[in-house]
Amino acid sequence: MYSIMANLDTPKSLESLLNSSLLWRGGEHQLAASSTQNKHLPGFCSGYPALNACLPWGGWPASALVEIITPLWGAGELQLVLPLLRNLSQQGKWILWVSPPCLPYAPALTQAGIATGQIIVVSPDRATPVQALWSMEKALQNEACALVLAWPDKLSGKHIRRLQLAASTGRTLGVLFHHRHVRHSSAVLQLRVDSDEEELQVTVLKARGSYRRDSVRLARSTP
Amino acid sequence: MSGRLYQLPLLPRTLHAVRPVAPEAPAGKKQAAARRTPLWYAICLPQLMTADTLAYTARQTAIAELLGSLSASVSIEPPDSFVFEVRSTLNYFGGIQRIRSRLQAQLLPLLQSWGLPGDIQQAASPTPAASLLLARAGCNVLVYRPENLRSALGGLPVQLLPQPAHKSRQLHNSGLRRLRDLWRLPQHGLWQRFGADFVGQLDRCLGKVASPIKPYQSPPFFRSRLEFEYAVENTQILLHGAEELLARLCGFLRQRELAATHVSLNLEHEHQQATALDLELRQPSRAEDHLRLLAQTRLDTLVLPAPVLGIQIEVTHFEPFHASVHSLSGVETARSSAPSSRHLIIPLLEQLQARLGNAAVCSLLCRNAHRPEQAGQGLTYGSTVGAANASMEAATASQRPCWLLPEPLPLRQEQGRLYYRSSLRLLSGPERIETGWWSGQEIRRDYYVARNRQGMHLWIFHARSEEHGRERNWFLHGIFD
Repeated sequence: MYSIMANLDTPKSLESLLNSSLLWRGGEHQLAASSTQNKHLPGFCSGYPALNACLPWGGWPASALVEIITPLWGAGELQLVLPLLRNLSQQGKWILWVSPPCLPYAPALTQAGIATGQIIVVSPDRATPVQALWSMEKALQNEACALVLAWPDKLSGKHIRRLQLAASTGRTLGVLFHHRHVRHSSAVLQLRVDSDEEELQVTVLKARGSYRRDSVRLARSTP
Repeated sequence: MSGRLYQLPLLPRTLHAVRPVAPEAPAGKKQAAARRTPLWYAICLPQLMTADTLAYTARQTAIAELLGSLSASVSIEPPDSFVFEVRSTLNYFGGIQRIRSRLQAQLLPLLQSWGLPGDIQQAASPTPAASLLLARAGCNVLVYRPENLRSALGGLPVQLLPQPAHKSRQLHNSGLRRLRDLWRLPQHGLWQRFGADFVGQLDRCLGKVASPIKPYQSPPFFRSRLEFEYAVENTQILLHGAEELLARLCGFLRQRELAATHVSLNLEHEHQQATALDLELRQPSRAEDHLRLLAQTRLDTLVLPAPVLGIQIEVTHFEPFHASVHSLSGVETARSSAPSSRHLIIPLLEQLQARLGNAAVCSLLCRNAHRPEQAGQGLTYGSTVGAANASMEAATASQRPCWLLPEPLPLRQEQGRLYYRSSLRLLSGPERIETGWWSGQEIRRDYYVARNRQGMHLWIFHARSEEHGRERNWFLHGIFD
């Protein structure tokens, strides 16, 4: 504290103060700053520059769990992950969809540039929600699988913690779509997606390593 | 010393040459010499040939299995012959005549059951190649001594030797009609004119060169059983038992360079039918860890109907084992990375299928079809589809929704407005889809893209005719993203 105060005496020192490792600024992405120096915090480009800017990883985090909270299915939340699906599937990575609300329609995915051959859909019996959670955990733990999209029926903080752990061991990105905000979630990133007729509003509820709570508006792709 | 050349009796052939008893040789020496020379019995069944390759292979295998009861080394000689060694079993059966009658007694009912004529062309001689030639020529002779082979084979036409057409024409043009003519020619000249292969063939017939055969092996089969000392209800203990059996299986597979694709585990109960656990593998494997994981996944969710007394493991179908090749430098090229990632995901998918059922895991199939329901479908992972059916391109240029409802959902209409959660506004359309009249599932629909107040983009249609009992009405068929 003393050294910071001492540096403030001269006007030139503001810049040196900002560069000082003693100072931590809440509004900045800590991770983004550090990732320019060392590359051990990789991320996937989300395909939306505005969204990339407000996430500390410069896109989706790698080997982590992401929660996307949306009031209802089909209100544009899939649009957020389509560029990611396109990139990963074209690189020959495997993508698992666990218990989607209904079967994804292959011609539409092909039109979006996604290699549908890399997609596997797992639809466990909806009567036993444990099966879906089990499938998610196994898929996240598997290193061969790059991305797991999941629509769990039942989710609690305990489940999220387990899935987050599985994602980090398997170095897989997991994206959970659900309706309800789970308090004290241990997911690395929590987004809420609201849509109106023209735009998609994405609010960052939580991003590990950043205190910024940004909200971006993305244009809806009109069919 | 010259030996004997016998006709197999009871067969409608005349004798070639018979030397009565040869000048006496010391008995011990003679027997030793006889023991050293092998005796190959050949049978030729031209009636086996059929256009149906599956039936043909089944018949071949059946006969080879039957011959296995007469000799330890049996070889299938395509297309229609079999050779088996009888010297070693000669004493046991009590002579060549007994073997012949036994063969006849077993083979005839088999041939009759297939509705085939019962003539068997057969011959026996010290070399498999000579026996085959004699049998194919229909000579029905028995040659005991190698030195008699030349004269026994001499009368056969050269066309019997398996060789390309131009070679037999060449032989014919050279005036060589019978094998006897070849015997008269110097070896070196034959070698120059007809090549080493041809001379090798003759040498194999005469026993100058060893002629190895490929012994027939009956298809592998693995069954092993483990009995518990007491009735077991704990799946953990069952898993230990299964692990032991799987270890035995993997040992068996390793020894024979095989891999399994389907392993059936049977849990035996006291008064009930055994519970069957089938471990399905998409890729032939003999990895113990993987099989154990699959067994564990199956046992985890299993509800035992009764205590288990024993476990039995059975594998009937095997594949040759192919080791996967990894780069020594650790650097995977772009081309090799795609199959290796496929090879990594398969264990996960099999594990998921083992617990959730086969139908729960599917891949997406994109078809070149106009009917929306047919253009995109799920395909149960592991089942195959004709390449013509699948396409990588969508059939249409107009945008399709990411979610297609399994069944079209009727839309609510109030005062001329359409509702789905809130009132709908049409954005684009109509796109008319009118197809399928030939299949009895005709559709005539006008598709529109609509939007509701919640910001959902919907794919809705107006049915222009009644289809499958549905009224002419508005339906929701898909949701865009």
